[in-house]
Amino acid sequence: MSQPHRKLGADALLDLVAEAFKSEIGPSLPADKRYLAAMIGNAIEIARREFAVEEEALAFRLLDHVYDDGDGTVLQLAREIRSGAVNDATHPGLRAQLKAHLVEELKVRNPRFLTGRGAKT
Amino acid sequence: MAVAQDDAPLARAPLEASSFSALEAWLASELQADRVVVKTAVLLAGGAVQQNWRLDVTVDGGPRAGSHQWVLRTDAAASLDVSLDRVSEFRCIEAASKAGVKVAEPIVASADLSLIGRAFAIQALVAGGAQGRRIVRDPALPQFGDALAREIGGELARIHSVRPTGGTLSFLPVPVVNPSRREVATLRRGLDSASEPRPALEYILSWLDANAPEPRAVTLVHGDFRTGNYMIDAGRLTAVLDWEFCHWGDPREDLGWFIARCWRFGNDDKVAGGIAKLASLLDGYNAVAEFKVSAAELAYFEVLAAARWAAISLLQGDRFIRNGERSLELALTGLMPPEMEWDALDIIDRLAQRGRVT
Repeated sequence: MSQPHRKLGADALLDLVAEAFKSEIGPSLPADKRYLAAMIGNAIEIARREFAVEEEALAFRLLDHVYDDGDGTVLQLAREIRSGAVNDATHPGLRAQLKAHLVEELKVRNPRFLTGRGAKT
Repeated sequence: MAVAQDDAPLARAPLEASSFSALEAWLASELQADRVVVKTAVLLAGGAVQQNWRLDVTVDGGPRAGSHQWVLRTDAAASLDVSLDRVSEFRCIEAASKAGVKVAEPIVASADLSLIGRAFAIQALVAGGAQGRRIVRDPALPQFGDALAREIGGELARIHSVRPTGGTLSFLPVPVVNPSRREVATLRRGLDSASEPRPALEYILSWLDANAPEPRAVTLVHGDFRTGNYMIDAGRLTAVLDWEFCHWGDPREDLGWFIARCWRFGNDDKVAGGIAKLASLLDGYNAVAEFKVSAAELAYFEVLAAARWAAISLLQGDRFIRNGERSLELALTGLMPPEMEWDALDIIDRLAQRGRVT
């Protein structure tokens, strides 16, 4: 489970959780709970795959606002905002799109933050 | 050096026994004493970056004769690039102390590795607690919060009375460009090595670069003055802690960092560090400061603070992603940038609606 990760996200977190579960929780479980433990391990793997797909879709929604359909990467967008090639004048509504993207990220990472801020979701 | 009274000793193990005699002899010389004896040295909890040891010391002869409780703080084995080493930090604390800032009394510092194997600084032990969450949830906060914020405002103004003249802190680089823009450049350099591109953070940094206000003065800036980094005892401030990010800059940077939403520990309506209303902090500040500050001009520095903490969080996450430190805490910190980015964009939105900026 300790393979390297390209980025920090659901996949990396679930990897850490799975590792802690297997190495520290699992061995202390009685025999009649081992099938349940195996199912939990399986569920974590499914969730890892599903999150990976959703994160990609999330990035595409932001990129579609700036680039032609299917073009551009998050890294490219970050660089072009810094260089000034992408800004509020070239892409009206950019700030609102970035904020909407953060809301989508926060729905996964910390939904309570959005509740506390009264953010529109 | 100040440490919380509730810090639990991690170990009874002393500093390397062989280093005691060298340390004691050096202390005796530095303090003009006949003899110095380190009776006990206890490693204190906390301090992920460096170690803090509580020392019980007896000094025979000289101006400091008597029994003392001190804290020895070492350099980290691996320190953050932007933080000061112990001796430089000690010089900043001395300068602040001379300016009347409440600090744990600075005693001595040394970069001589032959003494205990690392550079270190020694300060007096100060009573009190510093845990941010505990302070903002103190049931007595309504009684002492506003007075404490005024006191903190005064301390900040005294820090900002130290100017880059006189040469005592000549090792700190004086900014040759607008200090806020310099901060943006520093954050961008950090992001260049980050594993995850953050378009929102780049947008915020571009906004900060374009809207940087001119400073009315360049002063000493604490760099990490927030709830959690000052010690209080019975609702009164006893010492300002953690000076390792000290630098010359725009004094409003410290105020923006103190009031940033991420450092209110959930007490969002108490803008001044989760302990009081902003007016109390500014009342205390403006009563002492040469250059008065208004609430309106702090919005920019709140955005700067949010951007800074977002970048630091991202890089903390990279300690797991890039450096292989398998820590759930580091991983969770690395997931926090959207929170600060959202706060920063929200402030920019509000400023734009008021027509103050684009």
